[in-house]
Amino acid sequence: MDKKNKVGIFIVDDNKVFSLALKSEIEVAFKDVCRIEVQAFETGEACMKKFKEEKPQIAILDYHLNSKNVNAADGIQVLDMIKKANKDTNVIILTSDDNIDIALKSFHHAASDYVVKTETKFKKINYSLFNLIKVSEARDEAKTYKSVSLVLSVLIALVIGAVIAITIIKPSLLK
Amino acid sequence: MITDRSGKVIENVCDLKYLTEMMGGKKHLIKGIMDSFLVQIPEELKAINDAILQVNYSVIKNFTHTMKSSVSILGVSMLIPVLKEMEELAASAMNIEKIKELNQELTLICHLAIEEVLRDKEKFI
Repeated sequence: MDKKNKVGIFIVDDNKVFSLALKSEIEVAFKDVCRIEVQAFETGEACMKKFKEEKPQIAILDYHLNSKNVNAADGIQVLDMIKKANKDTNVIILTSDDNIDIALKSFHHAASDYVVKTETKFKKINYSLFNLIKVSEARDEAKTYKSVSLVLSVLIALVIGAVIAITIIKPSLLK
Repeated sequence: MITDRSGKVIENVCDLKYLTEMMGGKKHLIKGIMDSFLVQIPEELKAINDAILQVNYSVIKNFTHTMKSSVSILGVSMLIPVLKEMEELAASAMNIEKIKELNQELTLICHLAIEEVLRDKEKFI
């Protein structure tokens, strides 16, 4: 993986013990893989304040974000806010409920993955992050290649155009 | 010493092996999580106690739900079935007496966990 580009990851969970453990776990697991910066927030509202200026590549959201503060936005509402602010941010939804309806709802709202908080949750999250980072890098490379090939095509077209123009206007220059 | 639901004697309610492995043995990270646990668990217990007094099933359900994640990080696995039962009872808004009974078990184990974390935290300084 690319060690030059920094991968921004936002964690939004109202359980501080959990989010701190997840943040530390990701930092330890990806230490030698790529450059990452993980930030944790207790509410979606706090996350969105920072989101607009940083536009992280990945956001990990708890589905039950309003369990402690009933007036706070829930995970799906924050997912919608994130997608509205930057559709390229990949979102992983976390929940303790192994419920197909929550999974379908998450994907319907454009989540990239859905992880149930079982005993192996951290491994599953890391696996999901690894895949999302690889996909994101591949997408960036494809964009770069697309731009490079576009520039090359334009240059070649210009050269051909110039040669044709010279051939017509002043063929003596080519001799 | 206490016993779990199967009657097995438990010496320590916390199992820090999982947390230590997860953090790659990094003491400052482990200590940071322990500090958060020591602040958060009493707050969550208080919220559950208050909700029980007010017979507010929705708050009991939300806090027992969130507590499952907090206690699992510190390996207090014997609390998971207790919290699960409390959450299920609260979700169906019934049997406050059973919830009160389970809450006593929850409070006792949480206090033991807090004592253990306070004691073990010294090893991670």
